[in-house]
Amino acid sequence: MLFRKEHKQTDKKRERQEKDLYPVLYVTDSLKHYHTDLVQKEVASLWELSLVGSSFNSVLGEAEQFQQKLEDLGANFFSVHEVSEQFVTVRDDISHSVEQAQDEVETLKNSSLEVESHFSEMGTTFAELRDSVEQIKQRMSRIVSIADQTNILAINASIEAARAGEKGKGFAVVATEVKKLADEIKDLAAEVDSGLKDVEQGANNLSDKIDTSKEALGQSLDKVQETYEMFDKISQAAEGATLVHSQISEVIGSSRSALETLCGFFDKIKEQYQEVVKHIGRASRLGTTKSAMFEDIDNLLSQISPIIKE
Amino acid sequence: MKQFFGMSQRGDLREAVRGLNNPQLIMLMSNSSQFEKHVRELEELYPQVPSIGCIGMCYDTNVAENGVGIVAFLDGVKAAANVLEQVSVMPIKYIRRLEDDLQALGASREDTICIDFCAGNDACVLTTIHTALRRREISLVGGTGDAGKVSANGKIYPDSVAYALVKNQGGRIKAYKENIYQKMGNYQFIASNTDKARYIMGALNGKPAKQVYQDILHVTEKQILTQTFKNPFGKINGDETCIISIKDVQGSALACFRQVNDSDVLVLLELADYKKVVKETIQKIHKDFPKRSAVFSVNCLFRYKLFSENGYMQEYLKEMSTLGPHAGLVGYGEHYNNQFVNQSMTCVVFE
Repeated sequence: MLFRKEHKQTDKKRERQEKDLYPVLYVTDSLKHYHTDLVQKEVASLWELSLVGSSFNSVLGEAEQFQQKLEDLGANFFSVHEVSEQFVTVRDDISHSVEQAQDEVETLKNSSLEVESHFSEMGTTFAELRDSVEQIKQRMSRIVSIADQTNILAINASIEAARAGEKGKGFAVVATEVKKLADEIKDLAAEVDSGLKDVEQGANNLSDKIDTSKEALGQSLDKVQETYEMFDKISQAAEGATLVHSQISEVIGSSRSALETLCGFFDKIKEQYQEVVKHIGRASRLGTTKSAMFEDIDNLLSQISPIIKE
Repeated sequence: MKQFFGMSQRGDLREAVRGLNNPQLIMLMSNSSQFEKHVRELEELYPQVPSIGCIGMCYDTNVAENGVGIVAFLDGVKAAANVLEQVSVMPIKYIRRLEDDLQALGASREDTICIDFCAGNDACVLTTIHTALRRREISLVGGTGDAGKVSANGKIYPDSVAYALVKNQGGRIKAYKENIYQKMGNYQFIASNTDKARYIMGALNGKPAKQVYQDILHVTEKQILTQTFKNPFGKINGDETCIISIKDVQGSALACFRQVNDSDVLVLLELADYKKVVKETIQKIHKDFPKRSAVFSVNCLFRYKLFSENGYMQEYLKEMSTLGPHAGLVGYGEHYNNQFVNQSMTCVVFE
């Protein structure tokens, strides 16, 4: 009877305790549900964060690619500048070649002028030659005239010798010989005259040729002058290349400066991107520590119910 | 302090404790058939000496696979040992024991370590123990024993965790964890559809976990269980990575050797140059502790298998012995502070 009473009292005590502890169990159970919800939300948050991370990594990749392209563009500008600098080299080469050619033409011009001067001297010489030939011709005609007179004298002497008969025979022989000599002199004079005519003709021909050469030389000198002008034009054109180069350099300089500003902007953005990446990484790491804490909370919460039930 | 190690390959406890006098703490590593006998004998031989024990292989420069091993601390050491029971449901019920032991020992961060042998529900146990240790910033090193039971102070406890608090009166103490794996590629997953009680990992980034693992590593379902030696998962916790081994395939899910929770962030790991990692750990310990009294470690069974298959186990033990007296347990899971990890090595170094 007493035992039953004690048992009844124990049951009542247990019932009362269960009733008293029910709110604790209820709170524990609710906390577990909240914990489950929290973990679900955390899974979603981490997933979103990983998506943000991967999207941002894509953005970062794109930005880096773009920056790389900008840098490539900068390198291209540099190449263009380098190529354009070759204009200056080409200009220098042209100038150098033109100067060399001008020197050569100058030498040619001087030589031509010297030849012209020689031609003039030759003309004078030919004139003197012609005068000399004329004088010789005059002297030769004098000789022929003398030979004619000598011939007449020889004929007269032969006639006189014939008149003198036997006594004049020896003299007739001399007169004949004189006549022969006079004829020979005439023949020789005729030959000299003929030779002089050839000389005269040759000299005239040569003089004509020299005149033609002089004329050609004059034309050459005109061409040399034209060449000078041409070289000036080439030099001017080469200077034009320098101008083009300086204009290209100017444009490239301003483009590069704009590009540097753009790259600088990207560098600044990159720093900010890195900051964002750092924060995403930190948030992710914090997320991972949270999951360990969730595990700890769950491990502790799960012990409350069995303890109370016991 | 000094560390004693003795073993008997044939399971003779008296042979294992030969030469052990005045120990301050004894740790027993026995086999499943002789555990009860060894616990009893040890208590008879060293009554009143704090002790903890479990079923598992042990080693110093050799491994006792099925015998018995004893690790003891003596000279300049204060220790306490006890258990938290009912670990599968409410180890917190016994937390006062740990709090009292910490108080009695005057435990402090610099000179005290907690060594535990656990019978199961490791993550919950570590959360529970850590609530007490964190207040004094005490580190923990330990592991999981076999057969769901442990011993403390001469008594067998099923479903419990046996712990020993060791205070080094001659210098500092520090705990280390060694990870021979590194992150593989840029794979990162958020776990979901988990079952923490059965250590099930249902989905990774919303896709079936088994399919994700197979798609990345191109392995058959059968190969998954051996592939875990090379490619376990890593659970990211801030800057720390806790290794998780795959135990089994269950439908489209993977069962693990450790609890996985919804919202856990996981990565895929690959085997690193483990010889180099071991050398680095030893170098770091040398740097931190120019003078060492002892090193007690817990090596995962998976590491033991991996090192043995690669003919490296003996070399590994030889390398570790360069630190001084080194002994340890081959565990089924390793404990490092509040982390329950797989395929790792944890150790405590005594100055």
